[in-house]
Amino acid sequence: MQPKKATRREFLRMSGLAVAGMAMATCAQPAPAPIQAPAAPAATSVPPTAAPAVKKPVTIQWWTVPSEEFSEEAQRKLVDAFHAAQNDVRVEISVLPENGFSEKMTTTLGAGEGAPDVSFFWTDAWLPQALDLAPWIARDKFDTGQYIKGFFDTHSQYKGTTVTLPLGVGANFVMYNVKVFDEAKVPYPDMSPDATEWLQMIVKLNDPAKKRWGGDRPRGPYRAIWLNFGARMYSDDGKTVEGYLNGPGSVAAYEWLWDLVQTNATPTPADIELLGTQGTGPVDLFMAGRLATATLNQGHMLNAMKAGLPFGIVREPGPTGKPRHVNSWSLAVGIWKGTKEPEAAWTFLKFWAGPEGQKFLMENGNLFPSIRSVLNQYPKADLPHVKAFFQILEDNPVRAITVRGWSNSGILNAVKDLWDNINLGKIKREEIKPALDKAVPAAQKALDEARAKVGL
Amino acid sequence: MLNTWRQMRPRARREALEGYLGISPWLIGFLLFTLGPILASLYFSMTQWNIVETPKWIGFANYIKLLTDDPLFTKALQVTLTYVALAVPLRLVVGLGLSLLLNLKVRGMDVYRTIFYLPAVLSGVAVALMWIWIMHPDMGVVNNLLSLVGIQGPRWFWDPSTALISVVIMQLWYVGGSAVIYLAGLQNIPPHLYEAAEMDGANRWARFWSITLPLLTPTLFLQLVTNLIDAFQVFTSVYIITGGGPLRATWMYMLYLYEQAFQEFNMGYASAMAWILTIIIVVLSIIVFRTSDRWVYYEDTGEKAQ
Repeated sequence: MQPKKATRREFLRMSGLAVAGMAMATCAQPAPAPIQAPAAPAATSVPPTAAPAVKKPVTIQWWTVPSEEFSEEAQRKLVDAFHAAQNDVRVEISVLPENGFSEKMTTTLGAGEGAPDVSFFWTDAWLPQALDLAPWIARDKFDTGQYIKGFFDTHSQYKGTTVTLPLGVGANFVMYNVKVFDEAKVPYPDMSPDATEWLQMIVKLNDPAKKRWGGDRPRGPYRAIWLNFGARMYSDDGKTVEGYLNGPGSVAAYEWLWDLVQTNATPTPADIELLGTQGTGPVDLFMAGRLATATLNQGHMLNAMKAGLPFGIVREPGPTGKPRHVNSWSLAVGIWKGTKEPEAAWTFLKFWAGPEGQKFLMENGNLFPSIRSVLNQYPKADLPHVKAFFQILEDNPVRAITVRGWSNSGILNAVKDLWDNINLGKIKREEIKPALDKAVPAAQKALDEARAKVGL
Repeated sequence: MLNTWRQMRPRARREALEGYLGISPWLIGFLLFTLGPILASLYFSMTQWNIVETPKWIGFANYIKLLTDDPLFTKALQVTLTYVALAVPLRLVVGLGLSLLLNLKVRGMDVYRTIFYLPAVLSGVAVALMWIWIMHPDMGVVNNLLSLVGIQGPRWFWDPSTALISVVIMQLWYVGGSAVIYLAGLQNIPPHLYEAAEMDGANRWARFWSITLPLLTPTLFLQLVTNLIDAFQVFTSVYIITGGGPLRATWMYMLYLYEQAFQEFNMGYASAMAWILTIIIVVLSIIVFRTSDRWVYYEDTGEKAQ
């Protein structure tokens, strides 16, 4: 039988249909989704009353990523050190690329199988799959008080219990270029700079002829500067937006941003997009002396130290006399609740996020430990900018106020246009308060929905 | 079907089995990695699901919220439809124009064809970063060239009034891929038709309207369908360059879908969005298929599509 020869018309139609089919497939699969709900049996959160003597070595899986704080090599050495310290637990390390790690963890946790025994739990949505550590902490009298309080409180708790431990610390602060300040004959800023004086200072530092800006712009509202002004998205009980999102603190913070933009002493969003370093702040501009001051982090501080750049560190600006806040973070590390070896996983977790592990990663990498007694052993702890960084770590964490167990993105969406309008210079200063008032109903609705989603 | 199988002769059965065996890698892949996720996403679209916890069945609530109570969804749809309306015709016209140029008999044409096709194989992220440099208001190539002739260029991606059109212009960068397909269509047009037209005194323009364009309509049809689908799914460039701003001027559908799925972990909601987009694309594709009867000519039948 002769096969039927397709005409060109049929071929093109078939091609069109095939393409449409593929598009459907693409559109309709936002994730390589597992069909079943997580089915992994939860490891008991009630450990034996005493740690049993493990007869033969138990092997556990550890997923990690290489980073500026700890290279792959340093982490492999950490495993060697752990093996040398005890004989009961063997760790199989998988160093995964940072790009894609979150997606892999999300899908394996969602699938309910194949997740590592020990890993990072740096996304809040993963926390329901983390083992409750409280009974183990109690049994072993593991000292959680050794962690810097703000970091332990904001990076280990879920639904009133401890599910992770904080590994390392990081924070945003303002770095200023000493050379630029000297050249412009501008005095160095105070440790807690006043927001109004800050604007005057960056204008003096700004020099278009030298293609130099005085300072950068905040990267979003309701972070350190906003909180320094007393701004809040909602009430302390997390229920009301009215009077907070549009309260005096919020209005003052947005007005300060408006004033900052109007100084013309900061790069525009287009400049930052072009010249900044993707996602991590304008460190290159700062290092090149084109930004006299910039909000950066401890990784950038190490880069500047390595480059021999003279610089200083101060808090992000705020009104004088008001409590200061810091946008700080830590890496939450924990145990998957589907683990078959919770005892062994706990043994390794204690080592990794405990004094020995953090000290090891500090000495063999760039980790700033979240344990005060270990942090104090940092070899360059006496340098003025390192001291300043350590001091800033003690400030009120932004996360303590803004992370409440539900998503704030809907609220931030409600004020997104105001943010853009100020940055584009398309709004008058006196229009800020009405714009915030206008955003309140949508923000309240978003808050109510976000709370309902987590059962509040 | 079982009866048909029983009525088949042993040899025919064996051939059929061999056929199925031959296509089985694709078939299994399709069932597991395409059809499975499609059906799963349909189920998830009717749940509240954050991926790591058990999905909670909520019926059509996601769809109802999307269609009646989500201004960001409405905005995303509006921006995306505007983008599609601008980008698709422009890509069709520019792609066709480029293919006509690439069809000229000029020395070194293979090199030109390669050059114009190259952007189609470059990484979307790298291209997006390059376009930031090209379109930067103060330091970009475009505005510097404009300033040479006394024109102050716009702020392109960084102004709400020009951001979307900037994305449309940027997407023309990839038009070389379309041009190659047009080129294949152009080269399938029998030369004797042009020779006959020339003998009848038809000028270039008349030859284009009466021969090239009608005989290229099957290719145009394919391009229309593929460009339409592509345009609805634009993501990388806006994600890298504008993030949907400024003032949501480039707030594309896929950006919102991505945000819901992978930043907010609202996978159920994102699945519902994906299905709505699928329905929109399918409906528009059906419309294009239906209207093709009126404007697509096929050389083999000498008639319009039926």
